[in-house]
Amino acid sequence: MSTMTHDMTGDMYLKIFIALILLTVLTFLQPYIISGSISETVTAQLFIATIKATLIGSYYMHLKYESALFRYIVLMALVVLAIFFIITASDAIFRNESFDLFK
Amino acid sequence: MTETTTPEVIYDKEGNAHEVVDFNNDYTGAKLGFWLFLFTELMLFGAMFLVFSFFFYRFSEDFVVASNSLNLLLGGINTIVLLVSTYFMGISLLSIKQNNIEKSKKMIYLTIVLSIIFLTIKYFEWMAEINHGIYPDSEALNILSKGEILFFGLYFTMTGFHGIHIIVGIGVMLWAIKLINNKKITAKKYVVLENIALYWDIVHLVWVFLFPLFYMISFGGAS
Repeated sequence: MSTMTHDMTGDMYLKIFIALILLTVLTFLQPYIISGSISETVTAQLFIATIKATLIGSYYMHLKYESALFRYIVLMALVVLAIFFIITASDAIFRNESFDLFK
Repeated sequence: MTETTTPEVIYDKEGNAHEVVDFNNDYTGAKLGFWLFLFTELMLFGAMFLVFSFFFYRFSEDFVVASNSLNLLLGGINTIVLLVSTYFMGISLLSIKQNNIEKSKKMIYLTIVLSIIFLTIKYFEWMAEINHGIYPDSEALNILSKGEILFFGLYFTMTGFHGIHIIVGIGVMLWAIKLINNKKITAKKYVVLENIALYWDIVHLVWVFLFPLFYMISFGGAS
């Protein structure tokens, strides 16, 4: 069991803020570091965005310090979204294929 | 707070007595309820991102072309503005917990100022597009390719929805200031401000994904 008294301190807010600023700078510089195809650019950009989102969720939204219940709610939301995306992706990618399930 | 002289008592199956606590002061419940609201927000924006992804996959080239006409500088400044504003909002919550009422209020005001800057920049960005004749169902837009029409449709819809959330955010922050002034938000009872901070973080979170998908994809491809 982790201690329940743990909470965000001003120090942590600043640290996460600096990390987010650096990641944002990386977002701007990404095309100059690896300039690639559309899919490479999107993958790199979304990778940075996901790290930023994780930091915001864990620290700014206190999920790291909340009880498991709150973490499961967020996990559930992400799972539901993931199901939507996977089903739609299978439609987008395999549309007009001979084994298209949505035909 | 309710003023009861004798505490109400309930008994569990083993016959142990438990004092009934004030339900109006249910900290975890208030936060849990707000997280459920955030769940619906995630579904709202998630669905829009889903539509975006679907059409981005089908019309990648068109999306990159359309993305090139967005103002990267203004979008970039807005990204920083929103990021700094969430920091101030976090410090505001921290200050109220430390009973530093004045600092907390100052931080909320700073967040409001940054939100207004965000909206002002967004206004100029939209006006630049609209002055070029690019707005939903405009003549200049309808002669473009299918993918570009979809891109701008999604751009106005998603940044528009995001903008509405910013406006609502300013509203609830002003409400928070009023509650602090009325001693309804205090160092011991800050869940409303905490929920507002959570709301503001999710508004930022949406932008974290909006910005790369609308602005940065212009760098994709050899264009």
